[in-house]
Amino acid sequence: MPVAHSPIQALKSSSAVPTTILEDPSGSLSQQGFDVYASYQRILENEEIATPLAAILALTELIEHSKAGTMFELVKELHEAAEILKKRTTNPISLNAGTELFIAFVTLFPHESDNFADLKTKLVKQGQDYAAEALTFRGKISELALDFIKDDSILTHSYSRVVMQTLLRAHKQKRISVYVTEARPRGLGVKTYEALTAAGIPCTMVLDSAVAYVMDMVDFILVGSEAVVESGGLINAVGSNQIAIIAKAAKKPFYALAESYKFHRLFPLSQYDLPTHNDDILSFPRHAQRLSPVLTARPSVAPSPLAMTPEQILRNPRVDYTMPDLISLVFSDVGILTPEGVSQYLVGMFAG
Amino acid sequence: MTKAERREQQERQRAAKAEKAAQNSGKNPPKSANKPSQSSGAGAPALTRRGSRAADFPPKGAQGQSKDAKAGADDKGAHTRGLRIFSHFGLPKPTSHKGEIHPAIVRLGLQFSEFKITGANARCIATLTAFKTVIQDYVTPPNNTLSRHLMTYLSPQISYLVAARPMSVTMGNAIRQLKLDISGTDIDLPEQDAKDALCEKIDTYIRDRIIAADQVIEETAGNKIKDGDAILTYARSSVVEKVLLAAHADGRQFTVTVVDSRPMLEGKKLLQVLSSAGIQCTYLLLPAVGSVITETSMVLVGAHSLHSNGAVFSRAGTALVAMMAKQHSVPVVVCCETYKFSETVQLDSFTRNELAPVELFKSFPQNRPQDLSSLNDQPNLQILNPLYDLTPPSSITAVVTEVGVIPPSSISSIPLALGRTML
Repeated sequence: MPVAHSPIQALKSSSAVPTTILEDPSGSLSQQGFDVYASYQRILENEEIATPLAAILALTELIEHSKAGTMFELVKELHEAAEILKKRTTNPISLNAGTELFIAFVTLFPHESDNFADLKTKLVKQGQDYAAEALTFRGKISELALDFIKDDSILTHSYSRVVMQTLLRAHKQKRISVYVTEARPRGLGVKTYEALTAAGIPCTMVLDSAVAYVMDMVDFILVGSEAVVESGGLINAVGSNQIAIIAKAAKKPFYALAESYKFHRLFPLSQYDLPTHNDDILSFPRHAQRLSPVLTARPSVAPSPLAMTPEQILRNPRVDYTMPDLISLVFSDVGILTPEGVSQYLVGMFAG
Repeated sequence: MTKAERREQQERQRAAKAEKAAQNSGKNPPKSANKPSQSSGAGAPALTRRGSRAADFPPKGAQGQSKDAKAGADDKGAHTRGLRIFSHFGLPKPTSHKGEIHPAIVRLGLQFSEFKITGANARCIATLTAFKTVIQDYVTPPNNTLSRHLMTYLSPQISYLVAARPMSVTMGNAIRQLKLDISGTDIDLPEQDAKDALCEKIDTYIRDRIIAADQVIEETAGNKIKDGDAILTYARSSVVEKVLLAAHADGRQFTVTVVDSRPMLEGKKLLQVLSSAGIQCTYLLLPAVGSVITETSMVLVGAHSLHSNGAVFSRAGTALVAMMAKQHSVPVVVCCETYKFSETVQLDSFTRNELAPVELFKSFPQNRPQDLSSLNDQPNLQILNPLYDLTPPSSITAVVTEVGVIPPSSISSIPLALGRTML
């Protein structure tokens, strides 16, 4: 689920409580007045830039502003900045993938320059070059995925930029039709639906609860991702896991699209092992709350009370973890990988 | 078994006995059952392992070789009576003294064979520590260099240890590294300096690959334990014990179910350590694992070795626990240092295994010794206690190593990433 710049998201992040609470640490820690979070937010405004890339670019800007005189100091500053970013975002998973990648890159960068300032400019340039190159990744992925698409009906989930690009690319040559889930609670499926319909692709909205119903009508499932983790599994907008399970039961291929900067060194053992999980998620309301007017109001007024309350929605997860054995293939700019291939790639990249 | 097959086998057994009587028994250590026989190698044309074995028998034996070669090859030694196809698991051998054996090694051999020192880590550390003493007491003979001669001196020591108990993968890896270090020793270095350098390398190996690795695993695996978790573990692993103790010291609230099994009952010791540290524990035997597995949030086990295909070789019973957990979608996490990796591929626990000596681990309650003696004398009864079994990668969720948490399918990419020098 590629981070969304929908109004809902913008609203959420601006009103998010942590922003105000954590003002203090960020103020004291930020490097010589450089606010890495502000920079991150500004970069994110660009519709094309995904969270991990924005994090990389924000850290690049930090290096530009940094007064660090040694590698050690610089890496320490980067770690601190990464920590700030992590604390101030509600869902740090894909952001972490970006900061981790960049810090690993900085630490492994050959120190050949005579002076440190040179090295810093080199690092900045490398970071920017990478980000520029990374923008072409989606194009690569859509070309790779093209060979797997015939005149098919495809089921997709929520909104993903890389899935959108792939579908639009496929539409040029093939006759595809798309089912898209509504993807509650954020309703990003509507965004996908509108964009695809505008491009002339036959598209139908599917209730999240109707996925099993539609499964026999589709040829394969195409989803984006928030992060691809070391097990070869996938972290994506909530609902992906159930789609994958149904796809497995119906023996339909489940394809995930992920740019390589979303590969993340994380190994969740279960849904509850995700960094986004906390005790509030799906907790039972206190006894006192159960007596609140919700129950009594229900029968009396119009249909609206039958919807979930905002508090109830807040207590729900936003992302879920799809086990590797449910995923058929992961398309990325480094190639088409099996889930095992993803984990081998990740182990090779970071364990060295 | 058909009549013809039985007759064939009897004949082969007779032939094997005759052959054994003809040969000097000292010349043919039991291990050769697994190796091509040297005596036949010269005359027979291009023989496979099985073929060479069969060539030892009268012509009739060659007919059924493909099916029964193994059984036929393993019939030597009256004390292996009944173990037949399992005798290649390596029964304790009569220790042969070839060359001079260092007292430290003799002591260690005894500790190994009596199972006073068990566990892959403990055995590896004990071996390396003993070798340090051996190296310090070693004097290069005149007209020799340390880098060339020391290994020839160490070889019989190693064989002595192997005779006491089959070598663990960890010991094999450590000794391979030691050999590499010895052969890389500078010829011009004064002897004492060279010995000190080697001892230091051994210390570094123990520290980096075992002690420090364990600390990292402790932390990584500990982070997977959440408040309110119910952890299930099988038998006793030093790493798992450390992980649980560290997580407890960290203030995490969790309970531990120690599953144990005869004949070694190692879990009792773990139970003692954990419960005295104040961790809530439950103790049960392997047959009861089905009743508690649904209440478990994670299975945490150790390993003897880890193979390229992601299979874990561990205490017999681990595979059963892992499969049971897999069946109930309980994550199975194996704690294993990277020095336990083996380049080999193992597909089952039959091709390579080890038998627990019957005398040490009585298969029947010890308070009824008369039963044991009477059972031992039964001509048609064999007592079989394999020490290890193989857990297939499909029933393992993750392996926690010092380089991170990895799925078993990616094991093979790690040694390369570590830039391992040995092959």
